[in-house]
Amino acid sequence: MEIKSGDELAFRRVYQEVFPTLMRVAYHVTYNKDVAEDICQDAFIRFYDKDMVFPTMEDAKFWLIRVTKNLAINHVKRKMRETASLEKVMKNPQINPFKDGQTEFILQESSAAVRKAVGDLPEIYRTVIVLREYAGLNYGEIAKVLKISESNVKVRMHRARKELGAMLDREEVNVP
Amino acid sequence: MCLDDQILNTYLDGELAEPWKSQVEEHLSYCPSCRARYQKLVQLRDAVRDAALTDEEIAPRQERVLSMIEKNHLSKKSSQSFWRRHFRVSAPQVIGVAAAFVVVFIGSWAVFGGNKDNTIPLPELNTTIDLKNITPVRSTDNASTSKSLESYSLDEILKNLDARGYDVDIRLKSIQPLALDRLDSEVKDVARIPEEGITISSDGMARDDSGAIVATGVSLDASNQVVASDGTVLFSAEQVSLIE
Repeated sequence: MEIKSGDELAFRRVYQEVFPTLMRVAYHVTYNKDVAEDICQDAFIRFYDKDMVFPTMEDAKFWLIRVTKNLAINHVKRKMRETASLEKVMKNPQINPFKDGQTEFILQESSAAVRKAVGDLPEIYRTVIVLREYAGLNYGEIAKVLKISESNVKVRMHRARKELGAMLDREEVNVP
Repeated sequence: MCLDDQILNTYLDGELAEPWKSQVEEHLSYCPSCRARYQKLVQLRDAVRDAALTDEEIAPRQERVLSMIEKNHLSKKSSQSFWRRHFRVSAPQVIGVAAAFVVVFIGSWAVFGGNKDNTIPLPELNTTIDLKNITPVRSTDNASTSKSLESYSLDEILKNLDARGYDVDIRLKSIQPLALDRLDSEVKDVARIPEEGITISSDGMARDDSGAIVATGVSLDASNQVVASDGTVLFSAEQVSLIE
C-alpha cells in the first residue's frame, strides 16, 4: 500500500512500526540513548515534512533507516573530531565517546562489552552489523540502504564478524 | 576442502543459495572443525543480538518523540495545509484571473461606456433640474423587436447586472448618489411643505408637485426642521408637516 509521508495517518502507522528499529540503529551506531532519540526525532520530522510518496511500507522504512544511519554516523564522526581536539587540549586520553551514563549499571557485563565492541568497529563494518542484527535487514536490503552491491555486503559482514570476534576475545568476554 | 569464513557467514545469515547451501550443510555434518567455527559464529551473532536495545528502553522514548512531533509538527502542518488549501495558487492561475478581470472590465466599458448618444438619461451637474431635463425611464414592454442596449431602461440594466453578480454603484460628481432603490419603492416621502408644494423624501430629495427635483441632500433634523446638507435651515418646523 502506498505511503504518503506527509499524511498524518500514514505517518503514525510508519512511526509505530519503524521507531523501534530506528532507535536501535541510531543507538548501536552512537551508543548514546539521548543522542539516538534526537536522531530518530530528526529523521521522522524530515520524513513527515518532505511529503514523499513510497510504494510500500518497506520502502518508507528503508528511507528512514538510511537517513537515521547517516545522521548517526555523522554524529559519531563529529563527536570523534571534538573528542580528538578535546584530548589534545586536556591531554586526557580517557574519554570514551560511546559511554552512556546508565549503560554500565543496567546492562550485564557481556552486553556492555558487545556494545562497546560494536561501537569500536570501523564505520563500514559497524553499519552492516547494525543493519543486519539490529534492524533485521537481509543482504539485499542492506545493499539497498547502503547503496553498495550484495557481494560487498557479504565481504563486509564477514570482516565485521571477524573483527568483532577478535575484539571480544581480547576482552575475554564469555560469549555464551 | 573446508569452508571459508565468508561462506559460513553467508550461510549463517540464510543468504546462501542452492546448491551451495546443501553442500555446506553436508560438509558441516561430518567436519567437526568447520562445525566448531560455525558454532562460534552462531554464538557471536547471538551475543550481538542479545545486546540489542530492549523494547523497555525504547518505549518511553518512542512516546516522548511522538508527543513532541505531534505538538510541533502534526498540528502545525494541518493549519498550514488550511492556508495552502485556500490560498496556494500557481502563477498561471493568478494571470488567468487577472486577465478575466481585464476582459470583463473592458467589455463592460465597451458596452456601457461607449454609448455617447445620451439614451440613458443622467442628470447633469450645473443644469437646472426640471422636467425638461429628466427623460422618463422607458418601458421595454413594446421593445421586443429591438434588442439593442437602448431597448432597456437603466433600471433593467442595473437589475440585470445585479442578477449576474455585479455590484454596480452609480454616482454623479459632487451630488448625492442617484437613489436607485427609489425604483423599488423603498424610498418614502417623509415630510411636506404645504406652502411651497414641496415633498421631502427619505433619500434627501425635495420635489415639487410636478415631480421635479428642486433640491438634494435635504433632511429633517431632530426638531423637525428641514435642513440642507451643510446644516442651513431651509424650512422651520412650523412650515413642515410630517408624513407618517
